[in-house]
Amino acid sequence: MWTILRPATFIATLLLIAYGVAITEDRADPRWLLVLSVIAVLWYVALRTQFSARLARNAAPLIHVALVLCIGFGLVTVQVLRAQLLDRDRILARAGNPASGVVDIRRYVSDRRTERGRILFRDGTVIARDIVRSDGTRARIYEGVGAYLAGYYSPALFGASGIEARYDDTLSGHAALTWQTWLDGVLHRNQRGNDVILSVDPRLQELGQSLLGDRSGGAVLLDANSGAVLALVTSPGYDPNRLSVPLGASKEEVEGARSYFDALQADGRGPLVLRPIQGLYVPGSTFKTVTAAAAFEFGMARPDTVYRDDGALAIDSRIIIEQNRPDPNRVSYTLQEGYGYSLNVVFAQVGLQVGAQRLEQMARALGFGEAIPFDLPVVPSQLARSPDFLTSQAGIAETAFGQGQLLVTPMQMALVAAAVVRDGTIPQPYLVEEIRRPDGTTVRRHQPVTWRRAFSDSTAQALRDVMVWSVEHGYASGARIEGAVVGGKTGTAEVGSGAPHAWFLGFAERGDKRIVVAVVVEHGGSGAQVALPIGRALLDAALTGG
Amino acid sequence: MSRLLRPRWLELQLLVVPAAASLVGLLTIYLARNGRTSWSWADLTVSLLFIGVVFLTHFWLTLLRVRSDELLLPIVVMLSCLGLLLSQRLGPAIPHGGVWASLSQRQLVYLLVAFLALGTTVGLVRRFEVLRRLRYTWAVTAIALTIFTMLFGTDLGSGARLWIDLGPVTVQPGEVVKVLLVLFLAGYLDDHRELIASSYRVGPFRLPPLPYLIPLVVMWGLSVLVVVLQNDLGNALLLFGIFLVMLYVVSGRSLYVIAGSLAFAVAVAIALRLFPRVEQRVSIWLNPWSDPTGIGLQPVQADLAFAHGHLLGAGWGFGYPQAIPVVATDYAFAAIGEELGSLGSVAVIALYLLLVMRGLFIAVRIRNSYVRLLSVGLVTVLGLQALIILAGNVRLLPLTGITLPFISAGGSSLITNFVIIGLLLRASEFARD
Repeated sequence: MWTILRPATFIATLLLIAYGVAITEDRADPRWLLVLSVIAVLWYVALRTQFSARLARNAAPLIHVALVLCIGFGLVTVQVLRAQLLDRDRILARAGNPASGVVDIRRYVSDRRTERGRILFRDGTVIARDIVRSDGTRARIYEGVGAYLAGYYSPALFGASGIEARYDDTLSGHAALTWQTWLDGVLHRNQRGNDVILSVDPRLQELGQSLLGDRSGGAVLLDANSGAVLALVTSPGYDPNRLSVPLGASKEEVEGARSYFDALQADGRGPLVLRPIQGLYVPGSTFKTVTAAAAFEFGMARPDTVYRDDGALAIDSRIIIEQNRPDPNRVSYTLQEGYGYSLNVVFAQVGLQVGAQRLEQMARALGFGEAIPFDLPVVPSQLARSPDFLTSQAGIAETAFGQGQLLVTPMQMALVAAAVVRDGTIPQPYLVEEIRRPDGTTVRRHQPVTWRRAFSDSTAQALRDVMVWSVEHGYASGARIEGAVVGGKTGTAEVGSGAPHAWFLGFAERGDKRIVVAVVVEHGGSGAQVALPIGRALLDAALTGG
Repeated sequence: MSRLLRPRWLELQLLVVPAAASLVGLLTIYLARNGRTSWSWADLTVSLLFIGVVFLTHFWLTLLRVRSDELLLPIVVMLSCLGLLLSQRLGPAIPHGGVWASLSQRQLVYLLVAFLALGTTVGLVRRFEVLRRLRYTWAVTAIALTIFTMLFGTDLGSGARLWIDLGPVTVQPGEVVKVLLVLFLAGYLDDHRELIASSYRVGPFRLPPLPYLIPLVVMWGLSVLVVVLQNDLGNALLLFGIFLVMLYVVSGRSLYVIAGSLAFAVAVAIALRLFPRVEQRVSIWLNPWSDPTGIGLQPVQADLAFAHGHLLGAGWGFGYPQAIPVVATDYAFAAIGEELGSLGSVAVIALYLLLVMRGLFIAVRIRNSYVRLLSVGLVTVLGLQALIILAGNVRLLPLTGITLPFISAGGSSLITNFVIIGLLLRASEFARD
């Protein structure tokens, strides 16, 4: 009978172990210890009968002693294997969580042996690299315009942010184990992590930064063909050098970084916010592009559809005053003219015609309400904050011309422009173009991906015409570039207090090149006078550059 | 030739493995640390010295023409080779302020002395009659040593006076006391074998001969006293465990074991209630993450060491076991878990199991009841001690400050354990099939 029961006992104990591991998180959980006790008893019963039958009477006590010790060592084995093979990730995750207060020294020790990879712009400009200081500690330094795009790497105080955090595995060399890294590891040689190359063109980044100057705001310049970010400008920024506290830093250094961080957080202008992707702004008239897209896509209107605009429009109790008419005596305008002259009354009517549901549908198709896939976290843009806002006629009308409860990121608006020049498809934007080994060979190169289709190519064509008309004949005429097809839309977004935000959204095409831009200057005033010149200069530079 | 010297071929062959392991392991540690692939003979001095002593011991046994077991020595040499490597590996990482030599140098010296002690034991103890006759002397010595330590001992940071300071070295008499206890018990229990195994009836109950079980009560009391006074559950468990095993082997009655264990458990449970220090140990064991940087630091770092070890381990010199406080003694096994991985850990457990099973296998075949009882006691000292500290390392039991036999740094423990092996080698000559 024992020939069957004994194997059965061992299978049962294995199942018990599986059950115990499933219900407990820790090796000293009383429930787990209880499971182990049951296992010990099962083993004892199963093995006992085997031995005692065979041996002389006076040897029996010794056999029992041996059995008990055997079972003891067996249980220790189970515990060791559980710790090393089953609980491993759990233990490491627990220690990796900063809230636990545990320092997993081993991780830091291996980090210190590794020279962290560099972060570069596409032309080879290094913005982040490791240096060894005179006291032997390894520190991270950042240089150049737009070094903040790297984020900061601060193992002793804040951890990491930005690209430093997102590509930590790559930069620290943990990602890919090659023969060489293995050998270096075996011999305790210093290792180097891989380099991360950003798609940013430092010339354009510098141009954007200098054009924005001291004013708060942001700009994003995209290659619409690939989705590559050519410039991602924010102002004001911060100095990542002062936030990066290396392992082994002095107390003063740590304190200095802490107080700098506190000052940045207390600064009302929000220098830690990467505006093009984390800043939420009222889009103003640039949003008319989305409204027009909904109208065209759902067949509610065409560029030559005529609307009446006699200077004011009453919707429920709200009266919309028109200030943008080029000629106060003229009362009928096509949708194209309404876009080019930025007529709120016309777009209020387009919006009401389209309706809340279709407007929402178009916004969602363009990526509103979700995190846009990108190398850095992008804050979702929103059509309305309160769910019932778009149930009122006045709410729809205001939203249609870019006010209401709209909040958008410049990145989101740039993608709208990208959809226009790409026949309705939106590229997946990217910042990291390439991962390179220290010896210069490529590990991985970003392959351009289409994120989604926003609208049909006929809608795209109609929007393109409307945007080009706006530059050729409308208020965005300052954006014209010799020898290129340029389309655009300015925006002057009312924001309650202070001067309005100045916006420009545009594209430029020459040959195969298709570039889109979105610029916002906080409280800058008129979009045409403040944001448009920045956008035009960026588009022009991007078209002429390599 | 073979009539003059009895060659111990099996032992000689088996010793090749630990000898080679000590060479390769030492090279790994040195080269890993310096990032080199080339080495010089000077790097190997320590290993060569170790190997020399090992083979000298082997030839000493051959010279004495002992007919003892040939597996015990290779197992022990393998374990102490791991201990030596561990101290080599931890040596530079652990500061040794004020101590007369570095960790690894001390370990090497202790190992040499330990082998000398083994050789001497095998040379001196030919028959066990003298040991048996001196049974009460052992008892008195053990008690005297214990009292002396309690009165004049020093505290090396564990919260209990367990050491005697002799200038350059500190001795832990507790290690010796264990062996003295086994020597006494073997004599005493063997004397009263018949009586202890007998019983008489009172109504429906069969009662043991109570007067002869006074030692049971005394041992129980002493063990509890150790828990309370020294906050040392491990040593208490060990002492009481040795006693129960020997009593069981003499009497063959599991009733003693069950009653003894229950009484001990009850006493510990009460001690838990009454003494916050003991209770704290238990709560760290159950949940070290409640205070991972304070009292839970050791177990949490040990958990991390095991986790980083994974299946194959980081390799000698590649882990960071010095992150665990007192790693060289209490958490030697965690260091092995980190650097040698699951495979190494299980191998170490297997070596202890092998040692214990071999010891008991020898004991089964010994006809002389005193020598047999003595062997069982000695094997139990090694087995239980290894089991208790291993279980503490992997959080199967609360951690206790006892050493991992042959591996942990510590002279008293090393030398005592080698004497035990010496006695077992001699005892194995009594084994007959």
